[in-house]
Amino acid sequence: MAVVVKKVELNWVDRTYVIPVLKGMAITIGHFFRQIFTPSRKRFTVQYPDWKREPAPGFRGLHELKRFEDGSIKCVACFMCAEACPARCITIEADEFGDLNRLQGFAEKRPKNFQIDMLRCIYCGMCEEACPKDAIWLRSDYEQASYDRLGMLFGKWDLMNTYADKDGKARITQDPTPSVPRAPGKA
Amino acid sequence: MEHFAQLLHLSPAMAWMVVKLIIAFAAPLVLAAVLTWVERRGAAMIQDRIGPNRAAILGRWRLLGLVQLAADGIKFFLKEDLVTRDANKTLFWLAPFMAFVPAMMGFAVIPFGRSFVENGTAYHLSLLDPGNGMGMLYPMAIGSVAVYGILTASWSSNNKWSILGGMRSSAQMVSYEIGMSVAVLAIFMTTGGYDPHQIIAAQDSVLHWNVVRHFFGFLVFFTCMFAETNRLPFDFAEGESEIVAGFHTEYGSMKFALLQLSEYVHIVVASSLIVTLYFGGWQVPFVKDPAVLLSVLSFAGKVVFFCWVFIWIRWTLPRFRFDQLMFLGWKVMLPLSLANLLVHAYFMHRWG
Ligand code: SF4
Ligand code: SF4
Repeated sequence: MAVVVKKVELNWVDRTYVIPVLKGMAITIGHFFRQIFTPSRKRFTVQYPDWKREPAPGFRGLHELKRFEDGSIKCVACFMCAEACPARCITIEADEFGDLNRLQGFAEKRPKNFQIDMLRCIYCGMCEEACPKDAIWLRSDYEQASYDRLGMLFGKWDLMNTYADKDGKARITQDPTPSVPRAPGKA
Repeated sequence: MEHFAQLLHLSPAMAWMVVKLIIAFAAPLVLAAVLTWVERRGAAMIQDRIGPNRAAILGRWRLLGLVQLAADGIKFFLKEDLVTRDANKTLFWLAPFMAFVPAMMGFAVIPFGRSFVENGTAYHLSLLDPGNGMGMLYPMAIGSVAVYGILTASWSSNNKWSILGGMRSSAQMVSYEIGMSVAVLAIFMTTGGYDPHQIIAAQDSVLHWNVVRHFFGFLVFFTCMFAETNRLPFDFAEGESEIVAGFHTEYGSMKFALLQLSEYVHIVVASSLIVTLYFGGWQVPFVKDPAVLLSVLSFAGKVVFFCWVFIWIRWTLPRFRFDQLMFLGWKVMLPLSLANLLVHAYFMHRWG
């Protein structure tokens, strides 16, 4: 496709170059003084480590595996998110509830391992959409960095503890998932 | 002055020379160092950014980013000193000095204040005495020698982009030097002398400033100064969007800092040249026979203003294309300054 470059006819004022340059200088010095006389809070730049940006409401950041009030994981290892994930970055290993079995009225699984490779994740939010149990959420946290690749593999405990303290939930290292099935209606 | 000289066991003239030497070397250097900060900060402000402000003393006092200067210095000194494998080592080491020393030397002849007489001895506020016979030809000649530093830097680093940058720089120098010299020639002609002192003495009121009489000459000279300092509308030696970073692509650590610093020293010298030739040097507007200190302050103020103009223009104009520069140099600047010269010659002939 040929690009047609529009030729601009310059009038004699513009041809002197001096006046247009002065005009441009007036514009830039205007910016200069506007910036100097604006209090630093009101400038365009967010001075990042000191001030954090408030992300927009729909922002999709770091994942969180939601928990019930008693601390047990909501996820039932149904693999829906892993299937829906276009980047194929979710790896789930399912686990059955310890000593209970189907005959004892147990119907749910839980993830033994739940790993998201954040380096591959494109933060599309498909996992969130796909989850039938509303167990995986994308939070608004955007500060994710690591010194190596392994650090960006978020495991089950990382995801369950993402900023847990902020919502007042204690950090956990042991799985408090009850060994007895929850009474229906409580969840 | 006398006491000070006795303290050092020197004759007053000698002691004065030492003081002047220190001033003439330290002042442009300090100003150049501060300019690096002014440029980064000013550029940020012009582009609605904040600019460098992270470096801090003890993690607390940021001083508007001025600490960045010290941080830069420390970093440049401690950085690994890399030399490319097939570089010409001697020249590679020599080049930054070849760029830096001429830039510094240009300031020597410029009077940065009014001469004064004390105890029957005349003291001049410029490193070289006024009657030295070189006059304003000296800073201009020295200024164009600096391009050898750039050429050497580009040649010795054995990098095609660098050589391109150096070649462009020298071609630019050739196409500008003539227009510039002719513009200055017109000043020599109307003031009747080519000593900076005579030129300044001739501009004793604002209306006599050469910028009024030689407005077109001023335009030419001012533009050429940008080409000579390798500043942005004409920074073909660097041209980072076309030839990586031009002549200093291969330079790192303190050698790079020296190249960079010499550009800023060049700006200071170019500003003081502009001030001396066109804005009355140390003359204070509307004050006849100013006090010595006032005259120095006036000169410094004008120089700082023009340094700022250099930065200001850099962040206003985009880089020219090379053929545009050639066009400007040969077909606009040269005829313009020649016309300026001829018109002045004609009027001098008519009205003496
Ligand atoms: S946000 Fe998208 S890419 Fe990331 S884990 Fe969820 S589905 Fe996969
Ligand atoms: S997070 Fe949701 S979709 Fe993914 S396995 Fe658990 S319950 Fe299923």
